[in-house]
Amino acid sequence: MAYEIVMPQLSDSMEEGKLISWKVKPGDQVKVGDVIAEVESDKAIMEVQSFKEGTVKELRVQEGQSVPVGTVIAVIEPTGSITSEESGVRSEERAKPAASNEQLGMRNEEPKEEPQKTTQPSTPKSSNDKEAQRAVQTTNDSHSILDQILGFNETPPSIQNPGEATGVASPKARALAAQYGLDIEALQEEGKLPTPAHEADVKRYYYRRYFTAKALKLLHEYGLSPELFPVGKKHSEKEILAYIAEHEIPKPEPLSPMRKAIIATVTQAQQKPVYHIYDAIDATLLKAHESERYTLTVWLLKLFAEAMMRHEDFRKTLSGDAMQLWPNASIALAMADGEALYMPVFRDLNRKSVAQIADELAAMKEKVKTGRVTPEDLKGSTFGISNLGMTGIERFDAMINAQDCGIAAVGSETGGKISVTLTLDHRIVNGLQGAQFMQTLKELAKEKTLFKT
Amino acid sequence: MIEMLYREALNRAIDECMAADPNVVMLGEDVGLYGGSYRVSEGLVSKYGEKRLIDTPIAELSIVGNAVGMAIGGLRPIAEIMTANFSLLAFDQIINHMSKYRYMSAGKITLPMVVRFPQGVSKQLAAQHSESYEQMLSAVPGMHVFAAGDPHYAYHALKKAILMDDPVVFIEHELLYNKKGEVDFDAEVDPFKARIVKEGNDVTIVSYLKMVDDVMAAVPEIEERTGKKCEVIDLQSLNPIDTGTLKTSIEKTGRLVVVEEDHKMGGYGAQIVSWAAESLFYALDAAPLRIAGENVPIPYNRQLELASIPTPDKIAAKIIQWGADNGL
Repeated sequence: MAYEIVMPQLSDSMEEGKLISWKVKPGDQVKVGDVIAEVESDKAIMEVQSFKEGTVKELRVQEGQSVPVGTVIAVIEPTGSITSEESGVRSEERAKPAASNEQLGMRNEEPKEEPQKTTQPSTPKSSNDKEAQRAVQTTNDSHSILDQILGFNETPPSIQNPGEATGVASPKARALAAQYGLDIEALQEEGKLPTPAHEADVKRYYYRRYFTAKALKLLHEYGLSPELFPVGKKHSEKEILAYIAEHEIPKPEPLSPMRKAIIATVTQAQQKPVYHIYDAIDATLLKAHESERYTLTVWLLKLFAEAMMRHEDFRKTLSGDAMQLWPNASIALAMADGEALYMPVFRDLNRKSVAQIADELAAMKEKVKTGRVTPEDLKGSTFGISNLGMTGIERFDAMINAQDCGIAAVGSETGGKISVTLTLDHRIVNGLQGAQFMQTLKELAKEKTLFKT
Repeated sequence: MIEMLYREALNRAIDECMAADPNVVMLGEDVGLYGGSYRVSEGLVSKYGEKRLIDTPIAELSIVGNAVGMAIGGLRPIAEIMTANFSLLAFDQIINHMSKYRYMSAGKITLPMVVRFPQGVSKQLAAQHSESYEQMLSAVPGMHVFAAGDPHYAYHALKKAILMDDPVVFIEHELLYNKKGEVDFDAEVDPFKARIVKEGNDVTIVSYLKMVDDVMAAVPEIEERTGKKCEVIDLQSLNPIDTGTLKTSIEKTGRLVVVEEDHKMGGYGAQIVSWAAESLFYALDAAPLRIAGENVPIPYNRQLELASIPTPDKIAAKIIQWGADNGL
């Protein structure tokens, strides 16, 4: 049996995934555990592995394409399967849909340009027609792409019996042809339009005849209709660009799964009943112990984890109509790399040494940089930290991540102090509890015993 | 917004109208004590009494005839006929009297009345209990014909039908009474408007009553096989026709399919196709397709019964074939 690899569901909320890159190509041998592809969910990029040993038969999804969870993305022929029998069955299976398409009269052949020339060699052609012919030929390779762009069927219908039974066209096709100044019968005789001709046939011919491939691609990217441009003359990419600039048309850019996830999280955060506490902690010890390995962030994680162990309200999350009190201090840390923004969670910090925290932080930085943060990395926090100190920002406030009860926005050092702004969810932590937590932070920042490595 | 059965939606519409206006009465076979053959008037007799929920003899002509007299006299009667085939006995009252008095009295007489009945193929009720008469009734000027395809429209359109001064034939479908659906009581519903059940750019599929559900069941296969998107319209008001909604849709898609359960010969769908050919010829990118029942009395045998009417499988196959033949 061929082994099918499907788009995995990487998180509860994931409905579709984007194939970032293939790590194999058809014909490659793969072993169990080999990485087949990289896939982006709404939260992270993950690797897809093979659970069987075999040969890559087929890759069904293109890089950059998004498909629903469960869609087959690749097929692997396991080693040791009886290939001849197997492939026989498979090719038959593959032939099925095509056969039924045939039955339904869906024609799959490409339009036949060559026989045209031989059957009508003596027909004098205007230079315009020659140009059209050339345009059709040069863009032939990009036809399927253009068809997708224009929303036509993937394969244009074949032109049957050219020169015979011409003049049959739908009322809409006729109305369009009149508008475009096309002679349906003549084009059918020349084999450039099928019989009967429908709206899509006329549009396909007209668009290819009067728009360059690049111009059509541009129209598609900007969601513009070719109908906006006057009929009867050729339209170039340059002209479309001029139109876009003149009419101030924005280019729509679809949201990446990452951006969608960020929007969902911050929109949810915006709806929380929050308040802020503004203060600063002493920077002396923090700065004194800062090193390449033990960065300020490492110490901040340590400091906040200790404070969270002393204030259990900061280890609580709200779940339905109950509070959940978590035994350990787990902190989500805002880490950005370009557009990518993650809140990876450093778990059970109270049970870890500073060295362990430093190692975990370094490992996570690498994951963020290479886009390999997993959904598992983003779970389990009750509080967050966002540190913009390195950018020289003195003070700011942050938005609460996911289910957390609050977040601390840490600014840069000024006058021996580092500003800390707490954004707290009043449903979980009240003002007095927030103030007490801040007080503890200030005390801990001056406590030498905390800064042992 | 509340989920309820089609028959419950009808019951609630009648209940509310009876509570609001003592002139609203209902009459028919077993509508009182028994609560109606399809439980549409269930529980109402205990609320409003036997004078407002009137059990009649098995005499359809007199049911509608009495209702016409009540309406002339100032009441707002709802006449229930047990099933469409029996309404044939009342056609003289419906066509010669109900639809014409307002016109013939130069508007001095109004008939604020509703004649309700279920129609269509249920399950093995045989030829005399399975027919559809929307084509005959929509051909009669002077009254409106509504066809309720879901609980939401059933509730709102029946209320509007009871409250309006024009006579209305209100058609239900036997297989829809236990259909569940969301009803938004506060919505403002125009009973004369068609409903776009599902939007799409490539094919307009027009239907009504139970066939809307069958079309919706066929749509996933059609869309998967053709790669095109269907726009499904529930006509709801059969007379007058909401041509505005149809026009907008057909101009967008260029393609029209009409699906009806009734026999194809002389069927109601022919009116839609004829209108489209007359009014929207240059918007059509293919000859319209009519999917309808066979030209036979509805058979009793279950296999033959299903063979005589459109089903989701047949609807999908016919539309896919038609699409392939017509450059879809």
